[in-house]
This record gives sequence, C-alpha cells and structure tokens, in this order.
Amino acid sequence: MTQILFKDINKEGLHTMKVYEGLGGYQSLKKAFAQKPEEIVEAVKASGLRGRGGAGFPTGLKWSFLAKDVFPRYLCCNADESEPGTCKDRELLLKNPHLLIEGMILCSYACRIETGYIYFRGEFQDLSFIMDKALDEARAKGYLGKNILGSGFDLDIHTHLGAGAYICGEESALLNSLEGGRGEPRMKPPFPAVEGLYSKPTVINNVETLCAVPYIVSEGADKYAALGTEKSKGTKLVSVSGHVKKPGNYEIEMGTPTSELIYNLAGGIQNDNKLKAFIPGGSSVPMLPADKVDTPYDYESLAEAGTMLGSGALIVIDDSINIVEATLRLISFYMHESCGKCTPCREGTRWLHQIVERIMQNKGQLEYITRLEDICDNMAFKTFCPLADACVAPVVSSIKYFRADYEEYFKNVPAGAAS
Amino acid sequence: MQEYKFTEEQEKEISRILAKYPVKTSALLPLLTLVQRADRVVSPEAMVAISKKLDVSPAYVQSVMSFYTMYHTEKVGKYMILFCINISCQLNGCDKLLEHTARKLNIKVGETTSDEKFTLHREECLAACTEAPMMRVNDTYYGNLTEQRIDQILESLD
Amino acid sequence: MSDVTLTIDGKTVTVPKGTKVVDAAKQVEVDIPVFCYHEKIGPLGCCRMCLVEVEKMPKLMTACTMDVAPDMVVKTVGDKVEKAQKGVLEFTLLNHPLDCPVCDKGGECPLQDNTFKYGPPDTRMEFHRANNVKAAPLSPVITIDRERCIACQRCTAYSERIEQDRGLVMLNRGFHNEVNTFNNEPYDNRFSGNVIDICPVGALTNTDFRFKARTWDLENHDTLCANCGCNCNITLGTRLNEFMRIEARPNDAVDDGWICDKGRWGHHFMESKNKITAARENSVGKTEPTSFPNFPINAPAEQAAEKVIEIFKNIAEEHGPESIGFLGSPYATNEEGYLYQKLFRLLGTNNIDHKSYQDTPGLPIRHFDVEEIENSNIVLLIACDPTEELPILDLRIKKAVSRCGTKLLSLNDQDTALDKYAELKVKYKVGSEASAVDALAEGLARELGESIDFSSDLGPTGISDEDMKSLVEAVRSSMKICVVYNPAALSGDTSLRVKRLLSVIARIPTIECGAIPAAPATNAVGAVDMGLLPDFYPGGVPVSDSEKVKELWGENAPTKPGLSASEMIAKAKSGDLKALWIHRSNPVVDFPGGEQVVEALKNLDLLVVHDMLETETTQLAKIVLPSNGPGFDEGTTTNIGGRVQARRKALEANSIDDWKLIQVMLKKLGDESSYSRVAKVLNEISQKVPGYQEINSRFVGKQGCNREQVAGEEVSPGNVESAASSNGKLQLRVATYLFAHDKILDASSKLAYHFKPSSAFLNESDAGKIGVSNGDRVSISGNGTEMEAEVTIDNRCMEGGVVVPRISDEQGVNGLGNPDGSPAWVDIKKA
Ligand SMILES: Cc1cc2nc3c(=O)[nH]c(=O)nc-3n(C[C@H](O)[C@H](O)[C@H](O)COP(=O)(O)O)c2cc1C
Ligand code: SF4
Ligand code: FES
Repeated sequence: MTQILFKDINKEGLHTMKVYEGLGGYQSLKKAFAQKPEEIVEAVKASGLRGRGGAGFPTGLKWSFLAKDVFPRYLCCNADESEPGTCKDRELLLKNPHLLIEGMILCSYACRIETGYIYFRGEFQDLSFIMDKALDEARAKGYLGKNILGSGFDLDIHTHLGAGAYICGEESALLNSLEGGRGEPRMKPPFPAVEGLYSKPTVINNVETLCAVPYIVSEGADKYAALGTEKSKGTKLVSVSGHVKKPGNYEIEMGTPTSELIYNLAGGIQNDNKLKAFIPGGSSVPMLPADKVDTPYDYESLAEAGTMLGSGALIVIDDSINIVEATLRLISFYMHESCGKCTPCREGTRWLHQIVERIMQNKGQLEYITRLEDICDNMAFKTFCPLADACVAPVVSSIKYFRADYEEYFKNVPAGAAS
Repeated sequence: MQEYKFTEEQEKEISRILAKYPVKTSALLPLLTLVQRADRVVSPEAMVAISKKLDVSPAYVQSVMSFYTMYHTEKVGKYMILFCINISCQLNGCDKLLEHTARKLNIKVGETTSDEKFTLHREECLAACTEAPMMRVNDTYYGNLTEQRIDQILESLD
Repeated sequence: MSDVTLTIDGKTVTVPKGTKVVDAAKQVEVDIPVFCYHEKIGPLGCCRMCLVEVEKMPKLMTACTMDVAPDMVVKTVGDKVEKAQKGVLEFTLLNHPLDCPVCDKGGECPLQDNTFKYGPPDTRMEFHRANNVKAAPLSPVITIDRERCIACQRCTAYSERIEQDRGLVMLNRGFHNEVNTFNNEPYDNRFSGNVIDICPVGALTNTDFRFKARTWDLENHDTLCANCGCNCNITLGTRLNEFMRIEARPNDAVDDGWICDKGRWGHHFMESKNKITAARENSVGKTEPTSFPNFPINAPAEQAAEKVIEIFKNIAEEHGPESIGFLGSPYATNEEGYLYQKLFRLLGTNNIDHKSYQDTPGLPIRHFDVEEIENSNIVLLIACDPTEELPILDLRIKKAVSRCGTKLLSLNDQDTALDKYAELKVKYKVGSEASAVDALAEGLARELGESIDFSSDLGPTGISDEDMKSLVEAVRSSMKICVVYNPAALSGDTSLRVKRLLSVIARIPTIECGAIPAAPATNAVGAVDMGLLPDFYPGGVPVSDSEKVKELWGENAPTKPGLSASEMIAKAKSGDLKALWIHRSNPVVDFPGGEQVVEALKNLDLLVVHDMLETETTQLAKIVLPSNGPGFDEGTTTNIGGRVQARRKALEANSIDDWKLIQVMLKKLGDESSYSRVAKVLNEISQKVPGYQEINSRFVGKQGCNREQVAGEEVSPGNVESAASSNGKLQLRVATYLFAHDKILDASSKLAYHFKPSSAFLNESDAGKIGVSNGDRVSISGNGTEMEAEVTIDNRCMEGGVVVPRISDEQGVNGLGNPDGSPAWVDIKKA
C-alpha cells in the first residue's frame, strides 16, 4: 500500500535534520518558492486533501478563505490530539517532526503567513521538547527565519502547550487557549480565516493534514489525487485500538475496507472473540455493529453507513463486554471535558451519565431508554459547539444497534423498582 | 499574602516565552506551566505574580488556571501518574490495573502518597490508544501495561 | 449604516445592519426568551434559551448571536422551536433549587417567567439536585447563592466587558464552574451592584434588601440618583413609606443602564439620625436668643420661614441689599434654585452663588449629551477624574474606548484610573492649569494661522514641548471631539481659559466639537442655568444686560453684579455682609478656608441654614430650617450633559417641601405667582429661562430631554499670574474620592467598608527632600490649619505638588486652602 506519511516512519533517527534531509526532506521548499503562493493553494485544492482533524473540510478551500489583504496572518497547527482512540498525530510528532515543519512552511508560504504556532495538548510536553529541537535545527539550516532560502519569505514557528482540556482541540477554543484564555469555543462567525488568533486571519490545520502537504508539492497534486476514492483522496492514518491483536497506526489508501484494517493490519480480534461493534472515527462518531465491517474506510462510505470518518480512530469492541459499559465511559469523558459554557451540554452530559449509571446499577426503568433518546435529541445541534453532539453520538447509536444490551439491566428488575 | 519571587533562571525563561507572542496574555499558560513544574502547585501568590507580569487581574489568572486539569491548587507528588481510563484502555483492562496501582501505592485514586512521592490521577485519553493500557508519569508515556510492568516502573522511580 | 429587512413570524421588520435577531424581534413585538443575552453586554450564546428556526438553516440558531441578514425568514414558534425551548428550560432547571418561595428574585425572575411561558409542565429529574453554597457574601453588599446560579455568565461578562476590572470570573470547568473572585476575596469595585440587576435568577442579591419585602409588595418610583452630576436613572422601591432598595433604570442618554455602588447603597442618609425635621433657633452668633421676639420655635417651618424672610427684608432695608446674601446649592433641584434666586433678587440683591470656584453659564461650543462620548473619535479630559467624580462617566468612556474606537486624551495634574485607557496623557504641575490650557489653545490657534498670543508659557507646567505638540496634533486632527472638563478642579479663572480653548477648537473647520462641563455636584449645571450666580440671571442673562433683565424680571430687578461665595465670606468677616442664607450647602467643610469660614459665619448678624442634615454649618446658624432632600423631594435637575430630568418623590416627608417653603416666602414678599404643583414652577422656568423654553414636565417624561444651548458670553480671562515662590512648600491638589466618609455616607452606611484613611500622594523627589518614605505619617499645614496623613510615594503628581484625596468631613483638607480660592501652599513634615 502506498505510504506517504509513514514511508520512513521507523527509520532510525528520522527526527533529526540529518536523517530527514538524507531522505529527501525539505526538498519541496525550493519547488514551492519557485511558484506563486496562489499556485500552491491551487495545488492543494486540486489534490483533494481534506482536513484530518475531524471535520474533513477541503484544505485548499480553507486556505483560500483567508480575509483578503489583512496582515499579519497566523498558522496554528492543531496538535491537541485528544479524541479518545486517536494517537496518529502523536506518532508523527514523535518520529517525524520535520515533516510537520516542512508542511507548515509550505502552508505559510502559500497563505503569506509569517508566524506559526504548534498547539500541543499539555500532556505532550515530551513531544514539544522534540519539536523545539527540530525547530532549532530548521532555523540553523535557514528553513525558518528571515528570507528563507533567498525567497524573501520570512517565517518563524513556535511551540505552545495546553494544559489538559479536550475542548481546546476545537479550533476556536484552541485560539482562546493560545491567547491565554479559558478554552471555551468562540462564536462563529467570524470564522478564524477572517478573525482568528489575535483577531487576525488564521489557518488552523491538523498535524496530519499539514504533513500531507510536502508530498503534494513535491510529487504533484495529481499523484496525490490518484490515491483513494472519487471524493476521498489520498491516504489516511488510522489508529486501530481496542480489542485487536495488533493495535497500531496504519496508513491506508482511502476506501480500503474497514475489515482489512481490523482483520489484516491489526491482526484480528483479541482472543479470537467475535467482533461486536466498531467506532470508526474516534469516540465522537456513532458506532456501527459488526455487520457493517466491510464498509470502505472513506468519508462518503462511512457517512452512508450512518457514521463518520472523524479523526481516523478505529476502536474495535468484541462481544466480551456490554456496550453500555463502553457508552458510559464515553459519556463520562464528555461530561468531564464539557467546558460548561452552554447549558444543554453542561447539564445534559451529566444527566445522561446519571441515568446510564442508574441503569447499570439495575435500578432503572425501561422508560429510561426513550428518555435517553429524548435528552439526546434536546442536546444535539442545540449547543454552542459540537462537543455535545459528540457525546450524543455513542448514546444514540448504542441504543440503535444494541438496545438488547440496555435491556439486559432491566431483566431482573421488578417493575417500578426505580428509586 | 507573601510576594512570590521567580528565580533568575525562571525570569530568563519568562523573557524567552514572552518573546514568542505579540500579545502578553498568550504567555499565561506557559507561565502557569513553569510554576507548576517547579513548585508542583500553583499558589495564590504565584497567580498574583503572574497577573502582574501579564497585566491581567489575579481573578483572570485563577479563572484560566482552574479551567485546565494540569494545574493544581494542592501540591502534587514528585511523580504525577496520569492513568488513562478511556475507552481503548478500558477495553484492555485498565480499571483493574489502576486499582492495582492504587493498592500498590497505598492511596486512593486522586491522592498523593504521604511521602509526597506519587500522586495518582485517573486521566481521560492521553493519545496513546494503540499502546493501551497506558499511563503517563511526569513527561514519560508507558504503554502496554501489566501489573508486573507497573510494579517495575514504580520501583525504578526514585 | 445600511438597513436590513427580514421577516420574523410573518412580520416584516427593517433594522440597521449588525442588529441581532433577538433585538430585531423586539421591534415587532415578538418575544424571544433569553437568559444570557443582555443588550449592553453583548452576545454570549451560553444559555441556548433563544433558539429559533431560520429558513435554509439546518440547525436551530441562537437569536442572540445571530446578525440579521437580508430576506432572512425567522420562526420563533412551531413544534421544533417549542420542543427546543422546553428542552433547554429542563436543562436549566435540572439542578436549580426549588426555593422560589424564599427567593428575593421571586416575582421578577426571568427564570420563573420563562418557565411559566415556555417551560415543560413538570420535571423528569429524579436524582438529587447538586448541592452548592447558599447565601455566601460575595462582598459586604452582595450575596451569592451558588445553587441558584444558572451559569449564564452575564455577571462575569459584565465584569470583563463593562466594568473591565475582571474581578468577577468563572472558575473551574464544566458542571463545576462557578462565579467567583480571586481567592474568595470580596468582589469590590465601584460598579459591583449592577450584577444584581442583570442576574436573571436569584443568585446575586442585594444584601441590604434580602428578606425585607416581596418584590410585588414594593411601590416603585422612577427617580434620579442624587449622588453626582450624572443623574443616573433609578427605581426607588418603598414599602409603607419606608425605603427598600434602589435599582438601575436604564436610560441610554444618561447611564447606559448602569449605576455605581454609591448610587445603589449610598442612601442611608435618608434615614439618618442627623436629619433636620423641624425649624429651630440656635443660641449662637452675635445675636441673643431673644433678638427675634416672637420667633416661632417648634412651629411649622413655614411660619418660621415667613418670620425670617421678614427679618432679611428688614436688614436689606436697613443696611442696603448688599448686606444680605444667598448661598444656594448645587445639589438642589432646578425649581428650588430658581425660586430661591427669584426670592433674593426680589430682595434686591445679586449676592447669590452656589460654589467656591469660578464658573459661568453657557459654552462657546455645543453642550454635548453624555451619549456623544461614544460617537466622538476623541475625548479630551481636562482636570477630570471621572472614576471618582462622576463614576458612570467612567463606564461610558471605557465603553467608548474599548468598543466604539474612541481615543482618550487626558490633560491633568494627577494620575487617574482612566489613564490606562488613554492614548495620550499629558501631566502638568499642580496649580499650573491656566498655563497648560492656554498653551493648548495657543498651539491650536497657531495651527489655524491665527496670530493670537495668550502669552502662554510651558515653563511652570512641566510639560515637554513634544508632549504639548502631540496633544495639539491629536486635537487638531480629530474629526469629532468631546472635551470634558471639571470646573471645580480648576483654580482661579482657568474655567474661563477652557472656554477660550473651546472657542479656538470651534474655529477649526474640520472638527465637529462639543464639551461637557463635568463638575461633580448633582445639579451643578442646573445651578448655573438657574442663575445661582452673582453676575448672571437664569439662562445666562448677564446682570449687566439691564434691558433684558428688566424685560424678564421687572423694573426693580437688581442689575449690579453681586458678590461671589468667597467674596460673601470675606464680607461677612469684615462685617459688611450682615445676613446670609444657605440652602443645602456646608461651606465650613466643603469650601476652602476652614476656620476662616467659621469665623466669618460667626460674625454674621443672622445666618439661616436650610438643609436636610445637621452639618458643621447648621451648628453655626441662628435659624435652621428643614429641607427634605433626595428621596423626599421632587423637581428637575440638569445633568452634566445638559439633560433635564425629573427627580420624583418616593417617600413622604414630615416637613414641607423646599419649593413650597420658598413659595411661602415669595408670597410674604408680595410675589403674586402661585404654584399649585412643582410642575408649575417648571412652567415658569420654561418661560423665563433662555434655553429651557422647550422644557416642561410632559416633555421631561421618563427619560428626560436636553435643554437648548444656554447662551454664553465671549470670555476674556486675564494674564496668568506668576506663581508665588514656593519656599519649600508644596502646592495642594485636593482630589475627590467617591466613597468619602461624609454626611451622605456616614458610619452606618453599607459602604463604610470603602472608607479610607487620610493619605498624601507625593512625588519621589519631594518625598526625598522632605525625608519621608511610604507609610510615614506626616502633618500637612497651610492657611493656619493642620491635618495628618499617611504618605504614598507614587508620582501621582509632578514635583512641587501633593495630592490629598478628600476622604472624610473630619479630615479637614479643604481647611488648608485659602477662602478666596487662590492656590494653596502647604508645608509637609514628618509627624
Ligand atoms: C470538540 C472538538 C475537539 C476537537 N479536537 C481536535 C483535535 O484534537 N485535533 C484536531 O486536529 N482537530 C480537532 N478538532 C477539529 C478542529 O476543530 C478543526 O476542525 C481542525 O483542527 C481543523 O483542521 P483540519 O481541517 O486540518 O482537520 C476538534 C473539534 C471539536 C469540535
Ligand atoms: S450569577 Fe447570575 S448572572 Fe452570574 S452566571 Fe449565575 S445566573 Fe448568570
Ligand atoms: S440568550 Fe441566546 S444563548 Fe443565551
């Protein structure tokens, strides 16, 4: 399978300038500087690259939305990776920091940006140390700083650490956090492309998204676009975790069947149990039952199956557990991570948790299941940001596909025993 | 309230941090991190000192600080153990391992050992799901945990 | 700005671009429920109560965060919206306690109202509601109930965006978030009380009002705050003729919906033990107790007043009208001021004044209403400290700077809290304002190509040439400027120089300009307008304009200029002034001169004081008459923006209204006008006072209206007198402190925690010369008086000056000044 981001991922010393350059690193810069910035934006558009952070928004299009003629502009790389199940960015940052730097330089050149920040989640302190070293190396080589490679283009990139808040992965909350505020999401509009960091036009992209750019620039948009499906182009890193024998991050071509990921790359289900469910795109997307395991892994096919590609984290669940247990864990996550700014999310996540917990104590009433669905309906798409929608996804889908698992808890409860 | 003093080295680090940003308040999280790493706690005195450096109200500093889980108002141990309990780790048996760790340290989850060596916290996903179950001790990630491995790790820390 | 037309529930509405859907809906009487949205604070999007359906949008939208767009179609009713509203309310109420029966907000609670209108019929919450702290002090005057808080963030957003101290914040995250301060310290600033008004539930309540009355039992009176010249609009709640509480009553032209804490809690004087409730005769002064035979002691005030005015008339007849005088009040209503000047001019004298500084009626440029500050691109403060003097002006300026793109310039002798918002701050030496103002005027005149020489000299001011140049340039290049100056803080004839400066600005063709004379006293503008002046009749008619005077005031109206307040005091001392009548003023403490004022007043044959509280001055009076004062009185006042508004009666007093009492005396002197209601006095004002023609009680209505420009004479100040040599003395600047411990805020006041000890702010170099350091106690002496203070070295003023805030009536700082108002030089020594 074609490997772009992971081509040399296990090469010894890849994180150093020497090894990275030896493998052809930073070659794309010369090629880029020979073109007009707009041409790079066009190439990224033509490549079909879509945001790998979760929403799948076309990257080139996003870059072209920047408010015209307003400077300075900023680039923020979203390295907050906190979506349960997702750990692909961590592997890239740990092993190949220069790839990201190269991608950020290309993006900045294309968008006429002179300052970039990499926002790491606070727990990634180790990665930020690695990145700081890589940035120093890049500065020493003249890939960063003034008049890069004689192009007349200036850029510096800084690392910035969060401090423990999933919501800071949401792009506008990330900006607030980077400005030294509480990581509460911002009102949109204005969108970051118009008023972002310090109220200036800002590009925010996921680590993986930016890491795909050097390939597009050096190998050509066509070559990238030839990979994948009609609408989902290129390759995708997928973190496969849970009940699999060989959990890991795998780079696949878009459109590869999910079953291939689970049974082939990840070595199949642990203890040779039966697959029960899988969450294809990180904790925020609806789960699917085992019979959908052949769904091709790409944006459209997964959407058609009623879920999303999300951040590309495939969580595999076998039949050794009751789905409600996993669901409660996920609700608990969103309850913990709700910023508390808006009422339905702050109150709703906690209420869902209380109810599911009560069910699992065998103290619920059958009516609780419809109540859960109704509460989810009152939360979904009514909150300030999509965090509440994310909390609702596993609840609604688990009821949809695994109602029997809920009903398990009512089997021995005499009617009306709830307290 | 006593005045909080930054060390000379910290002052240098602060200047370096401030230079990264066009707007001072951006340095708020980095400064809180600086204090937390040095003191293992962010005291009200430190908040006041930071508020002065950045020209914001102390209430603002506290408001921001209290939003994030990595800052602590009570001193944590020399080793901060963040034990991931989210879904991938859950599926791989983290709950039992967490219990084991707590028992081993003779504290409850959320507590600090009496010698202030370890603090054990339950943590939401740390982005190492393919190595589940896992934990982070200070800056280091430890994956594919088993009871023995946990014992070894804890013993190796002094 | 261009307009946008859209449809809301089938109704078409056209509003300016940028309007939020929720506000557009109000215009067509469509009610969209909200919790977190507040028009003045701006959108937050927290509570999700305002969800509406918008055509072509897949999701429901929050009407409070959404700008109107052309041809937008909004639906605020229908199954989808109603389900969402019920859902949101269910979430909001999920952990809200059921203590409405004992909640102060009951009856006026948006949560109650919205639940009633839009909420679910019952709750599906079967778990224990979250417990949280109930009824904890957030400050000495505000109580917080954390259980009731719905985390709408209005209060914290207010702290961030309006009062801008960021003292009140959200702590923690998610379900655990709470409204709090740093380290549980009190939420303490000049505007803290507004959070009570904006809290949509009973989470933030007025500690003073807690459990006093149910809101529906209150009688609410729409009246004005009388604490400063802003004249903020308030609702004063009473029950059974007892004071209950004060709330803000939004008026965009005046207060923008906010009041300061002094306005909200500085009302205890109304129930003060020191209230004067009856007329009395003191055995003081040169006259024996029996010198007024048959003086009706303990009789109704009107009998006493009739008697004394007769005595005044006799004295005027015996010693000539120059031998009597009247010191009016900048705190009284226009009607009272107007009638009093009429009374004394009827007695043939122009010895009428109300202040210890120089001021004249009218402005050579437009008198800007306070709202114009937001529309000006430059605001220039001269000798102003709005934060302490006119607090609501402070909020308006902060709003203008932070949200309207206004730039602030400041020309002052001391640092103030607003300096951090200023684009340019130019500081002059204490006492050198005349030169500073002249230099600016001259610089601008030069830019105009006028060959004017005010012989200004920057030397004594300590201002650098560059700074003055930048100031001149900033003013010259402004498009619209609003000059705000405090005549009460200007020495000598500097207020005339400011007017000369204003006329220079007016001549710059590219500038739209206006000014706000911002003297702190409640009705300082009204007092000037009403002719409580020795040289002007009401409406700026000069006494020397005998034709006009006779036309308006009759053949016998005096046309000889009278004595100013300080001259009257001097003449009292010399014995030329025999009788003085003082209305609601306390010159012993509030005027410069201290002991000398006391001696002068003691030397009078007759001193009458008509006041509401016992003061140092009433102690010297032969006759004391009861005045009712704010809360009890009624009439109009004119605020610093020239807006005339109605101060309404909220409580019934035992004594006769001041205006009625004056009417009794007017009658006694043979005046034939009769006023059945106070509105009739206003009618007469509108006929007799140029500028007030349009003012009548109907027009004044709820929100007031602006009077016309009051005519001002072309002014020509003299040359600046060169300063006397200092001899190691420092020049004194008395600063205002909002929460001074005085007759209004006495020790029983809820705001007593704001009282401060006396301090002297010194420049580093002066402190060095005197040999004192921070915290040292010093004695300050001047004009034969001495007082103590604690030293703060902070360069609040430049070398050669000392700033002493007036923090209490006992402190005696005004006593250090000269009774004639000339610059006060003081000696400072370590105590
Ligand atoms: C609650 C929430 C959490 C998110 N967390 C992340 C994250 O950890 N990393 C990330 O790259 N994007 C995350 N996103 C998506 C970002 O908002 C944003 O869409 C993305 O960074 C844009 O980059 P892309 O276009 O390259 O995907 C999150 C979104 C939401 C709503
Ligand atoms: S206290 Fe009141 S205003 Fe403040 S957040 Fe709570 S409900 Fe809102
Ligand atoms: S009023 Fe619109 S979200 Fe609160």
